[in-house]
Amino acid sequence: MTTFEDLKTHWQNQPEQETPKGGSKQIIDKLNFIKKKQQITSVVLSVTAIVLTVFFFYVMAYKNTTAFFALLLMISSLFIRISIEFFSINKLKQINITVTHASFKSQVINYYKKRIKIHYIITPVLFSLYIIGFVMLLPFFKAGVSSWFYTYILVSGAVFLIIIAMYVKKQIQKELRLIKNIQK
Amino acid sequence: MKNLESKFEDIYNTNYPKVQRLCLGYTNGDIMLSKDITQDVFIKVWENLASFRNESSISTWIYRITVNTCLVNLRNKKTATISNHLNTMESIDDTSLEEVKSLQLKQLYSCINTLNKDDKSIILLELENVPQKEIANIMGLSHEVIRVRVYRIKEKLTKCVKK
Repeated sequence: MTTFEDLKTHWQNQPEQETPKGGSKQIIDKLNFIKKKQQITSVVLSVTAIVLTVFFFYVMAYKNTTAFFALLLMISSLFIRISIEFFSINKLKQINITVTHASFKSQVINYYKKRIKIHYIITPVLFSLYIIGFVMLLPFFKAGVSSWFYTYILVSGAVFLIIIAMYVKKQIQKELRLIKNIQK
Repeated sequence: MKNLESKFEDIYNTNYPKVQRLCLGYTNGDIMLSKDITQDVFIKVWENLASFRNESSISTWIYRITVNTCLVNLRNKKTATISNHLNTMESIDDTSLEEVKSLQLKQLYSCINTLNKDDKSIILLELENVPQKEIANIMGLSHEVIRVRVYRIKEKLTKCVKK
């Protein structure tokens, strides 16, 4: 006859895993390394933003308003989406993990519900703006580059957009699964 | 800073085994996965240690971090099912006492794995001998609710293991 007390004894008598030697120091070192990596990522992204801005002003100098507008659409939609992602990641990090489980769970569920809204509303809008900008630029490419390079731009652009769309779809599915899993 | 580091080292060495054992319950006995999650738990402990204000005991605080970390870290991981464990038990005729114990433990993990997330957390804390008042504090539920739920889950778990 198995009682819960038997199970408890069984549970507590299971072989104990060894505590890794110097494990606490390894954790502190790992976190310092992650912080450094994050600083490098911030620098790389800032440089990219500067390069894009310089390129933007360079194109503006040609005073072609359609090309200017098309680029503005593409760069700003990309910039807004990346900013939302950073803001979102930061929001997740800010959820206090030391609160009670009930409070933590409701905060995590709210966070993922907001993420789903971003995926279903904001991302498609920004994605469409990016495509519109790209299509608006095509006549300029056609006029300015050789025909094989134009085909390359067309094909690589389409492939890039398909990959991004598939990635976003996968991300939405993953986060929907996560929210379902948390609510179980 | 040095003081905080040595405090963290003490907390790590004292609590690592019980945190990992709790994580094993969430991972259906998967040692590697439980080690990864245990490391994540201690990363969170280190990140929040400076803000720990002794409002609850350190063990309650660590258990809260463990339960919350397991909630977000376990995403549809595939673990062995109960029938897998039972089939293994049936297929071994001349098993030593140690092997039988190990298989019984696996069966216990599988039964725990059939519970929903909150029930799993509650019963794992109960198996760890955490007082029910402290479990209530960790889960953010009333003592009365915990008492009733522990009783119900105990029955369910015992029945499952007997199968």
